[in-house]
Amino acid sequence: MINFLFLVTLLIYLAASIFQTLSLAISSRTEAAVIRPTIERIAFWGTGIGFAFLSLFIALWWLTQGHFPMTHWTDSTAFFAWAITLIYLIIVRLTHLRALGSFVMPVAFIAILISYSFATHTAALPEPLQNYWLLAHTTLIFLAYAAFIAAFGFGLMYLMTERKIRKKTDALLDNLLPSLGTSDGLGYRCTILGVILLTMGVIVGSLWTQYIRDVPWRWLDAKVISTLVTWFIYVAQIGLRQFWGWHGRRAAYTAIIGFVAVLCTYVGVDLFLDSMHTYR
Amino acid sequence: MNSFRHSFPNLTQSPICDIIYQAYKVPFHLLDFLVKGMNQIVSIGTSHHVAPIEFREKLAFSEAQIIESLQHFRESDQVQEAVILSTCNRVEVYAVANAVRNADAAAKILVEFLSRYHQIGVESLKKWTYLHHNLETIQHLFRVTASLDSMVVGESQILGQVKAAYDASREAGGAGTILNRLFTKAFSVGKRVRSETTIASGAVSISYAAVELAKKIFNTLEGKTVAIVGAGEMSELTAKHLVSNGVSNVIVANRTYERAVKVAEKFNGTPLAYDTDLSFLIDADIVISSTNAPDYLIKRRPLADVMRKRKHRYMFLIDIAVPRDIEPDVSKIDHAFLYNIDDLEAVVASNLKDRQQEATRAEQIVTDEAKRFYDQLQIFQVNPTIKALHQQFREIADTELQACFYKTALSDQQEAAIASMTQAIVKKLLHHPMQNLRCAVNDGDADHGQYIQALQELFALDVNDDNSGM
Repeated sequence: MINFLFLVTLLIYLAASIFQTLSLAISSRTEAAVIRPTIERIAFWGTGIGFAFLSLFIALWWLTQGHFPMTHWTDSTAFFAWAITLIYLIIVRLTHLRALGSFVMPVAFIAILISYSFATHTAALPEPLQNYWLLAHTTLIFLAYAAFIAAFGFGLMYLMTERKIRKKTDALLDNLLPSLGTSDGLGYRCTILGVILLTMGVIVGSLWTQYIRDVPWRWLDAKVISTLVTWFIYVAQIGLRQFWGWHGRRAAYTAIIGFVAVLCTYVGVDLFLDSMHTYR
Repeated sequence: MNSFRHSFPNLTQSPICDIIYQAYKVPFHLLDFLVKGMNQIVSIGTSHHVAPIEFREKLAFSEAQIIESLQHFRESDQVQEAVILSTCNRVEVYAVANAVRNADAAAKILVEFLSRYHQIGVESLKKWTYLHHNLETIQHLFRVTASLDSMVVGESQILGQVKAAYDASREAGGAGTILNRLFTKAFSVGKRVRSETTIASGAVSISYAAVELAKKIFNTLEGKTVAIVGAGEMSELTAKHLVSNGVSNVIVANRTYERAVKVAEKFNGTPLAYDTDLSFLIDADIVISSTNAPDYLIKRRPLADVMRKRKHRYMFLIDIAVPRDIEPDVSKIDHAFLYNIDDLEAVVASNLKDRQQEATRAEQIVTDEAKRFYDQLQIFQVNPTIKALHQQFREIADTELQACFYKTALSDQQEAAIASMTQAIVKKLLHHPMQNLRCAVNDGDADHGQYIQALQELFALDVNDDNSGM
């Protein structure tokens, strides 16, 4: 039954991301503009309902396992999707820019798809790790990832708008994407938010190591290193922007590079390298 | 009919010609005036679609003339309500007449009035005007306020013009219950069309296109600086639009300082004379160039320097000069966006095309709304008659009941039973006639006016139109 409900959640996310993408794709087609408000509404409500379902699942796992669910790909990716949706909903609340969903919702869907495909697996978490350090550390890191993914979305929006403006003819037909300045500015804010959260997450993680005696710890962990690389990419972006005016297109490209780094850190390390952080 | 078609071949595509023809074929009986019929909503008008400026100016009304004409209508008793709309593109008279047998007769009143008032022959009126009645009138007015009938579809001025005309007519005592309803509805349809379709979106003039593009680039125009290089009507107009959209600083650069000062005064801007130095562009977010220079004035390399100095903040360059002032390669610089006159015209053309497509959807909305409004209007016109009939029956029943109760000694219970039975009889007697009347109205049966009239006459009903709840 629970499995079935999770499948429903998955399908809601699938529908939401399809409709989100669709609403952006048809934005400049007049013939389809009639149904666009409906599509947007479905997409947004789908996102909201999917988010509610997902929150329920995470709460359920938390209750049944007795500690914050972060042991396996199942819980981890579900939480990843949850964080992405949360950040997206907050951004929509603040800016009314629903178009961002077209970029971040598919990512959230893929995360849930991975979660679903591992749904029967659970792994036991070593006793010493079952505490609130885990909650603080992972929540901060995942929210940072989600903020970076939002920045990635804004970067793509920037590039699409810029292409349209350079193409000239249809520059004004699409009224869904925000102006270059807006995409760029919001992407930058997301990046800053992400860097702050990631820094805090790393600090919490390193403090945590001081309290664990039973689990062997080594600093040259693949996950740690690649996280630091990701962190450096974003900090470099902020610095270049502040001092050399690297905004706009360059910032958009950096956001994409950062996104790849996030994926490498999150997925790549676990799949190809051995790490203390690996989900089993 | 055929001879009429023959003489006015260009009019024969429209149903208007039939109406005009009918209006003159039907003998004008004095009796028509005596018969109190349904309210007929008619309109006569001319616009840029059907008539040249020479004719439109002859038909135009000044404000004083509008008041005078409405006065005339009020005194003549032929027309109960009227609104006169007179703009540079159209002259239209909307009227409600209820002292006529049909719409054609009402239309004839308007034609005769215009012919007399403006000293225009009926023949040329026939040729250059259109006549609408009832549903057509409603639909036409809705199309006008939705700016589907405008020269530039989706333009926003017409709504305000119709509003002004309506307000003026209302103040002069022209618009009454029916036209009040009609125009109020027309404004809401106009707004609905604008919000539910994109006919009013997308700039359709070059200067507005420039403003819209600037809004696509900058997150806000507040605090931005526009530089006008060279002088010209178009660049000043564009700058004016930019300023009214929030741009706060204006730099006017010209080869001669005096001319720069002259233009700068208009915008409260900073005048300056330039030679080859582009450093004044460092502060400029938007550059409008329209000089007579035979060669490129703003080239890629110097501008790249400028861009570096302004820390690569976005720059929107508009080149409306022919020959061009700005080297096309400039658009290869990051964050510099160059539009020349052809690009802007292409943007405008694409927006116009979009509006045309949206117009089809807007027409559908207008048609639906007009139909719905017409049906409501019919029911509103029937309601007073129905109400009066019910009232009369109930009064008769009440009188008879009182008389009966007075004569006999019945218990309260018995009296109540008889009273309710009487009410039921009245209700049932009226059920079918009322049902059929409402059906006739809803089906758009043209005879329902006669039904109402018959009812009013047969039952000697006193229906006061002013209290009809219109």
